Amino acid sequence: MPSRVALWPLAVIDVRQLSKTYRVPIKEPGLSGSLRGLFVRRYRDVHAVADVSFKIEQGERVGFLGPNGAGKTTTLKMLSGLLHPTSGDISVLGFTPKERKNDFLRQITLVMGQKQQLLWDIPARETFELNRAMYDLDRADYRRTLDELVEMLRLSDILDKPVRNLSLGERMKCELTAAVLHRPRVLFLDEPTIGLDVEMQLEVRRFIADLNNRFGATVLLTSHYMQDIAALTSRILIIDHGRLCYDGSREELAQRIAPERRVIVRQHVPALLALGFVEDHGRMVTTAAVDQVNMLLEEVMRRAPSAEIGVEEVPLDEMMTRYFRSRGERRDPS
Amino acid sequence: MSGLLIHLRAAPTLLRIGFAEMVAYRAEVAVWILTATLPLVMLALWSAAADGGTLGSFSQDDFVRYFAVILVVRQVTSAWLVWELNYNVRTGALSPMLLRPLNPLWWNLAETVGALPLRIIVLSPILAVLIWWKPQIALLPSAATFFLGCVSVFLAFVLAWLVQAVFGMLAFWYEQSVGLYNLWFVAVALLGGYVIPMDLLPSSIVPLARVLPFHSALGAPVEVWLDATPDPCRTLALQAVWVAVTATAAWFMWGRGLRRYGAVGA
Repeated sequence: MPSRVALWPLAVIDVRQLSKTYRVPIKEPGLSGSLRGLFVRRYRDVHAVADVSFKIEQGERVGFLGPNGAGKTTTLKMLSGLLHPTSGDISVLGFTPKERKNDFLRQITLVMGQKQQLLWDIPARETFELNRAMYDLDRADYRRTLDELVEMLRLSDILDKPVRNLSLGERMKCELTAAVLHRPRVLFLDEPTIGLDVEMQLEVRRFIADLNNRFGATVLLTSHYMQDIAALTSRILIIDHGRLCYDGSREELAQRIAPERRVIVRQHVPALLALGFVEDHGRMVTTAAVDQVNMLLEEVMRRAPSAEIGVEEVPLDEMMTRYFRSRGERRDPS
Repeated sequence: MSGLLIHLRAAPTLLRIGFAEMVAYRAEVAVWILTATLPLVMLALWSAAADGGTLGSFSQDDFVRYFAVILVVRQVTSAWLVWELNYNVRTGALSPMLLRPLNPLWWNLAETVGALPLRIIVLSPILAVLIWWKPQIALLPSAATFFLGCVSVFLAFVLAWLVQAVFGMLAFWYEQSVGLYNLWFVAVALLGGYVIPMDLLPSSIVPLARVLPFHSALGAPVEVWLDATPDPCRTLALQAVWVAVTATAAWFMWGRGLRRYGAVGA
């Protein structure tokens, strides 16, 4: 076991002052710009990730949020060893990812929703077999794990179809299977549900939660679907312009950003308009401060005794919208 | 377990799946093989030029025999690593491969070897037609020539694949690595015996051409098979030297290239 484990004994993932700066060539427009570029190249620095620090413990499920280009994927790629940090330290399971040691690669996986490892023209079963050979898995263990995954993801009918004939959702299920056949201890998931329909999103979420529960795998997940984050993670990291700006529970974030509750009456009751409710697809909806909710509910029940009433937190995607809007306003007061 | 042992243990499965993949692509692979039939064109051209007599030391039958063997050697030493590496590096498709504890080049090698049976199947009818047309070209080599010829083809295969690896890895630094590889191939065509047999080159450049890697990658195994090289062991030794040089360059560039890939984006 590497000695770094002794230095950072608790965290499975330990990131300290991580930065990644890309040097990007500036291409000037027009023919003259192209000609000048032949002889003199100018560059600018892009700070994709700046001074990011966090720790993740064994078995945690953490959501990694931020707008496009915020630095989420760059961070995941550095954590999995694909990108070398410009500065800072990373330890994952006691390894330094950029060294890409085989013992490290055997214990992690990175699922990229937009990139695939399945071989396109032959059945997914062959990619699984290829991974068995590449990870040098014991055949009996491999068969047991594959049977388990086939059952969890209901894959038995599609295992022998060429990958090109599978639907997007079926392909993603096979991608996930290929990615976890070696039972990784750490799962980096970058947009695993992108482009999937609602039913398939639910299935993928259930699978990720199952993996975490059964095998104790640590999960770091990015997704543009806030339902993924809400369903799977209790801790959230928010990154914006390369900087980590929030690390905490969803509840704390809700208290900070959207402390009110949403009260929903699941039928049309005009009498509630006077209480500030608005009609929304045949329902009546309003928001109220947490300490006002009970009073409001009493009033609703008085006016509509048979109504079905629900009280919800503000949805995570709305919370994120507010969060980034408030940060934008702070950065740009005009 | 050491990395090398794991690579060797994985090889049978990789070969089997590489072959399955090529069978799935059989139509495309067959068409691709058939597009690489320049030797047949050269055969027709040089035979017509010899016109019943000889050109240099080559009779018409010698040309048919030479280009038939060139066709086979070219096919069994073909690879597509340069295009694949170039594409994978530039699009980031290399990333998922780098996450697995097995060198992605090893998988490409398995795919390349997996395509060999298909190449032989596609070549067989072409060779059958040539032998039907000129039965006298089908000379059985001696056991020693057969053995040395097999070793020489193997070395040419490894050299050609490593050369593609080196040019493909240039994509880590340079976008037009495929263009540079095309220049290499032009040199193989002109100085390696692909379109002009070595003996028909101007005599002043033959000694130099014989020691260059272009000849080791294609012309050398053909000459060993045809028993047309004065010292086959020296030819094999030279091929082995070029394999060692290219392997060292590929090993060095892979390490450097991955560092760069990790530095500028993956």
